[in-house]
Amino acid sequence: MQSSIRTFAAADLPTLLHDWVCSQPVMGPKERRDQPGFYYFDWIESRDAELKRLARLLADGYGATTIPPKTAFFPTREPLFRFATDGHVVPEKKEQEKDFLLVGVHPCDLAALSLLDRAYGYPPADGRWRQRRRLATIVGIDCLPDDYCFCTSMGTSASRDGCDLFLTPIDGGFLAEVHSSKGQELLQGTHTEEAREKDLLAGEDFLGKKIAATGPRLQTGLEEFAEILEKTDLSDVWERTAQRCYSCGSCNTTCPTCFCFDMEDSLESNLTSGVRYRSWGSCQLLDFALIAGGTNTRDIRCQRVAHRWHRKFLYLQRQFDRPYCTGCGRCSRACTADINIVDVCNELIKLAKEKK
Amino acid sequence: MTVSGQTMVIDYIPVPVSVLQVIDEAPGVKTFSLSAPQDEMAFEAGQFVQISVFGYGEAPFTICSSPAQRHHFEICVSAVGRVSNALHRLAAGDRVGMRGPFGNPFPLERARGKDLFFVAGGTGMACLRSVISHCREHRSDYGRLIIASGVKSPEQRLFVPDLRLWHQDDQTELHETVDKADETWQGRVGVVADIINEIDFNPRNIIAFVVGPPIVFRFAAQNFLEKGVAEENIYFSLERRFQCGVGKCGHCQINDLYVCQDGPVFSYSQLKARSEAVEATLPDS
Repeated sequence: MQSSIRTFAAADLPTLLHDWVCSQPVMGPKERRDQPGFYYFDWIESRDAELKRLARLLADGYGATTIPPKTAFFPTREPLFRFATDGHVVPEKKEQEKDFLLVGVHPCDLAALSLLDRAYGYPPADGRWRQRRRLATIVGIDCLPDDYCFCTSMGTSASRDGCDLFLTPIDGGFLAEVHSSKGQELLQGTHTEEAREKDLLAGEDFLGKKIAATGPRLQTGLEEFAEILEKTDLSDVWERTAQRCYSCGSCNTTCPTCFCFDMEDSLESNLTSGVRYRSWGSCQLLDFALIAGGTNTRDIRCQRVAHRWHRKFLYLQRQFDRPYCTGCGRCSRACTADINIVDVCNELIKLAKEKK
Repeated sequence: MTVSGQTMVIDYIPVPVSVLQVIDEAPGVKTFSLSAPQDEMAFEAGQFVQISVFGYGEAPFTICSSPAQRHHFEICVSAVGRVSNALHRLAAGDRVGMRGPFGNPFPLERARGKDLFFVAGGTGMACLRSVISHCREHRSDYGRLIIASGVKSPEQRLFVPDLRLWHQDDQTELHETVDKADETWQGRVGVVADIINEIDFNPRNIIAFVVGPPIVFRFAAQNFLEKGVAEENIYFSLERRFQCGVGKCGHCQINDLYVCQDGPVFSYSQLKARSEAVEATLPDS
């Protein structure tokens, strides 16, 4: 039996990735060619150049992908079933009926997948999410923060939630934590050694650097923040934030823990058959809470802004005992009005203190 | 896998059901009798189903027929949106999709032995007809069955044969009102919530079920509270545009509650501290 923490040389990574790609479909991070410095998750081809690029991203580190890796389990838009307008229904063949490997998931995103496991697993469980999660093997990798990351405030910096193998770049190679038998199998084709004391220290050192380099911080604990949202009239901050917000929904679209959705029918040109799709929803869009007869329960922008914060840090915190924010900073990076989630949280905390 | 409220895994795929009969209920309102999947449909009064008209989409409707009817069920539909208008173009023999039933029913166990006061505003009667039918069928389980029904005009009255029956026999006390009378109407004119003030009842023995537009909720709640009915004995059934029906899609959230899972039936005491359009429903405290 192998020890649960191994090391392997950086030079062996391309071969390892090649083995993985040959044995099952692999999804991993890629850098946009048109916009260097922006990343996305996509299927990896077995071409050498592609594997080298992936190996470079894993070894050198890469920034948070614009769209989170939940796409592997909850596509932006997916067919649910085909129908005939006469009422005949045919379930859509699931695209990913095979096992697959998701490589290069940062700790905050591991935490996000586990939060979605709770939300979609809550009875009745979402069958599509559950099936794809069962098919997936996940390789996590540690990362260093940019100016938007605040994982240290959300308790996700060292998350290993749901991963089978977790890599930390250390001098000349990787520390590889094995978290499951599937993770152990992934290492079988390559030469690994048991991690020595200095390797473990190098891993701790990496995490220490990450924590030290993470700038933005919430000025209060998470339960305390939930209580502030629950008990304080914070409308000054909601109004101020809403004055800047365009209600574009970029925060929802990039959020790794948002799970709301819409369903819509799309007819073929024969007008007798079609497909029902499910696509990501956004509580920031004007018509999200529209109801029969034209009533809109959140037609004022500051209600929608407040709803987002309440849902992330209060309602779901109370339902699942964890806030539905991982500190990945994606919503702040993507915001078309440059609204920063940490700044808003701290403004709320400040206002609550003033009101005390 | 088919889907029901009790299923532990959900895939959002509806089961086909047939339209058995379409009844013109009132201008812009039709009642659809639908076949039960596999000829058997178990539900409780107050639960809703998601109905698909393929090519148009899916929308929630509360079942308006008696839970005792197992081979078919009915929904009463106002043509106000895309799916409801598409439903209105269907005829007997057409097929639609169904998911459910979902949601919590009216708390009939709590209501046992009590006097029940139903307040229906407009199409709110579609939601209450199921529970009223159930109570009539289990008449000895309950005390008085008082029904207040208000519609805009006499032609908007729903379930007229039922109303006639509820008037005629001594099982129920039906009080009808219209906002605006015409030459056919000899009855009461005025708002439905006022009926609460006009009837003698024991407020300590009342369970109230109120369904209607927010204004009806507001004034019915106010009148019941003023009469001394306890907050936890006044129930509303709320309407939201559910996409999933199972607490996932997020559209029906009222603060920390999912209307589809935690409701759609709520007590006044559950709602009074909450906002997001519930405040339009509740009297000023």
